[in-house]
Amino acid sequence: MNFEALKNALVEELTALGISEYEIYYMSNSDTSVETLNKEISSFTSGNRGGLCLRVVYDGKLGYASSELMDTEEMKELARRALENAKHVEKPDKVGIFKGSDSYEESRVPEYRALSAEELKRAAKEAGEAIFAYSDKVKDGSMSQTVSTGFVIRIVNSHGLDLSTSCGVNAAIAEAVVAEGEEFQSAFALEELKPEDIGGSLNKLVGKATDEALSKIGAGLVPSGKYNIIFDGKQMRQLLSVFSSVFSARMVLDGMSMLKGKIGEKIAAPIVTVTDDPQRDGSSIGTTFDAEGVATHRRAVVENGVLITYLHNRETALEMGVESTANASKGDYSSPVSIMPHSFAIEPGDKSFDELLALAGDGILVTELKGLHAGANPITGDFSLESAGFMVRDGKVCEAVKSFTVAGNFLSLLENISALSNELELGVATGFTGFASPAVLVPGMSVAGK
Amino acid sequence: MLAQRLLEEILGIAVSGGADFAEVYCELTRNGRVSLRNNLIDTIADETVSGVGIRAFRGTSTVYGSTSDISREGLIKCARSVASAMGECREGQNIVLRERIFPNIHPVRIVPASAEVGYKTELLRAACASASEYDKRIVQAVGNLMTVDHTIQIANTEGLLTTDRHVRTRMAVSAIASNGTENQSGSSSPGRGMGLEVFELFTPEEIGRTAAQQAITNLEAVYCPAGTMPVAIENGFGGVIFHEACGHSLEATSVGIGCSQMCGKLGQKIANEKVTAIDDGTIPGAWGSVNIDDEGNPTQRNVLIENGVLKNYMIDRLGSRRMGMPMTGNSRRESYLYEPTSRMTNTFIDNGPDKNEDIIASIDYGLYAKSMGGGSVNPLTGAFNFAVTEGYIIRNGKICEAVRGASLIGTGSQILEDIDMVGQNLATGQGMCGSSSGSVPTDVGQPLIRVSKITVGGR
Repeated sequence: MNFEALKNALVEELTALGISEYEIYYMSNSDTSVETLNKEISSFTSGNRGGLCLRVVYDGKLGYASSELMDTEEMKELARRALENAKHVEKPDKVGIFKGSDSYEESRVPEYRALSAEELKRAAKEAGEAIFAYSDKVKDGSMSQTVSTGFVIRIVNSHGLDLSTSCGVNAAIAEAVVAEGEEFQSAFALEELKPEDIGGSLNKLVGKATDEALSKIGAGLVPSGKYNIIFDGKQMRQLLSVFSSVFSARMVLDGMSMLKGKIGEKIAAPIVTVTDDPQRDGSSIGTTFDAEGVATHRRAVVENGVLITYLHNRETALEMGVESTANASKGDYSSPVSIMPHSFAIEPGDKSFDELLALAGDGILVTELKGLHAGANPITGDFSLESAGFMVRDGKVCEAVKSFTVAGNFLSLLENISALSNELELGVATGFTGFASPAVLVPGMSVAGK
Repeated sequence: MLAQRLLEEILGIAVSGGADFAEVYCELTRNGRVSLRNNLIDTIADETVSGVGIRAFRGTSTVYGSTSDISREGLIKCARSVASAMGECREGQNIVLRERIFPNIHPVRIVPASAEVGYKTELLRAACASASEYDKRIVQAVGNLMTVDHTIQIANTEGLLTTDRHVRTRMAVSAIASNGTENQSGSSSPGRGMGLEVFELFTPEEIGRTAAQQAITNLEAVYCPAGTMPVAIENGFGGVIFHEACGHSLEATSVGIGCSQMCGKLGQKIANEKVTAIDDGTIPGAWGSVNIDDEGNPTQRNVLIENGVLKNYMIDRLGSRRMGMPMTGNSRRESYLYEPTSRMTNTFIDNGPDKNEDIIASIDYGLYAKSMGGGSVNPLTGAFNFAVTEGYIIRNGKICEAVRGASLIGTGSQILEDIDMVGQNLATGQGMCGSSSGSVPTDVGQPLIRVSKITVGGR
């Protein structure tokens, strides 16, 4: 059934149930992926999914119900379930369904062209072969994958708001397995595939994964102690991602953020500026409205070390007496409205990577952090993470090291950043949210090793 | 669910591109969630997941298509795209299905959808109230009650046609403790492959109290020291150590392509002789149990390691083809959107010969990890990490002050040798395990164990 027919069935049932305030959030995804194992294509997958989330306001309370089953009967059921759920909710809904922003920015999100199945197959095969051609140490088990993933979103509500957007990304993954003697190592890389330069993207990807795997061979252990740590851009962006919820006004209001009461205060080193940009240059994913339909804009969240704002949806903004920052988010079409950044970045500094190494003098360059979903606690800010990287001596990158942990607290880390590199590492967005960071130098962090 | 005729037609089309096997997986799942925060029922949401995944094999090449459009046209389109991705399409084959019904070993008394919403909100309110009442320093208790009612239908070109229904229920409480200057958290989230009768096994009040006690302990704790030391890991979710350090490396997903530290080691001693480890998807009502796996094979009890010797891997259909070994009922997927692969079900280290009190008494200086968080592993190298959510220093054989912020890291092959004492209080804990076929419920478990030496990440 098409969207209009489903909507009409829903609205008819809602009217019969006496519900006059509602929102229909529709999302469809389309993904295609090709995988190679040992240079040969081993798997091809494609998927299409559409889902619809209904939010209704009944007696000042909000009720949700969602479905992927797109028929008239299910739409009637959906309206009844949302109403039943609203009846049992206790939290008053003070903001209701959104009437719409006065104006929306013009979209600068690049037009998405999904690579064809043939292009994806060709690129996956090329990457798979390139991994093996890269070094004679590459072994069986090495894989490549190419993927195109696109989505369409539409928000229609009882106030007449009707917004839609679509975007997507083509990407490639390489996993290189290498061996020397008895020792096996592997590394993984992910790059966006720019349709205009597939060859260039693949070369970069294969080089990254294979070089990293090769560099891990013969890695040594580190004695426990305090070290100057450089997190490369990818690791720092992962830390920013796992701790991004501390900036959520919902977490602040619920007593679950360390940033409570810190607006206008210094929370980071003066060289640290953090921005959220819904249409960041270079990103394939972007939007001009959030999951409630509020117009999005670029904004500074931390400026020169000072906390400027939390990230808000309409509900938290009302509770705190400010304007929404348009960070309402849905993890999936069926998720309740929560808060997430769009493209969240620590802005780059003015040091080249070599200058950063020189400033570190002696220390450790961390190029791999693992288990962030477990070893980092966004409520306390504490983290203790399995790491790998390279010793830095006299400002030079030296031998590889592995099997150590770096431990600290996210806020102390922000306060202690002593230098930032001038290159922003922009991650491929997952869903609607992306993170970016330059490499950072943090003196005197705790390391547990041998 | 789909009509037999339609399934036969779809399968016939799916193999028409030169495949030697095809399978259809049809799913209808009703997920429900009730949330409480700030002492109010905050959100009630439910979701219908509905769709079909069609898979075709030629040797060890696979093609997978999924769609939420389950109209006849939508399904035929999906089957055709699977066939044409495999090769040039010929005429559809004639497939004859014969229905099988496998025994249901997980009966459900209170089906979540049949209970009043008000009944669920009261359970949640009781849990959060008990957390808040535990100590006046508890400033927030967030509770979630999650229910899943999952019906699947599986048909394949070997003639199998079967269905199964699986219900599971879980409550999660997060408690935040504050002393005015800093916050600490604690959590508890038990679940079972059961309906709402699960709260007769453990009460909502117990869940709330456990979360609150952990938050208060962490508020009073000092930072864990860094270094290498002996560690006693408690039962229940402590079993995540085996799940990460070894379990993933025994899945055909990595063994079948030669990317596991455990390749070629069947029959060899890979662990201390006190270690016997089992994956058992047949435990009635357990969190990781199912009657049949997501390829339609009944689940089994698989002894993975017996007295330190590697006995078996966990193998799905693709792994079986790659490894030339039989399937073990371990094929799983989050939903129709994912191609299934070999996964764990309920995986645990069995009871051993040591008395629990002897394990603590044997440590002069080390860590007692009472409660664990999640972790991750690289199956190729066996390098793993996981987080300690409640820990204490052991001094002269006695449990002393609480410590926080610790993680444990090591390699699987080393730690299996270093598990040198195994206690007798086997219990399991519930987790959601993430891998290439999505997020699936798994139980981890063990009795209290001692690891003679491991790197403790602290400060």
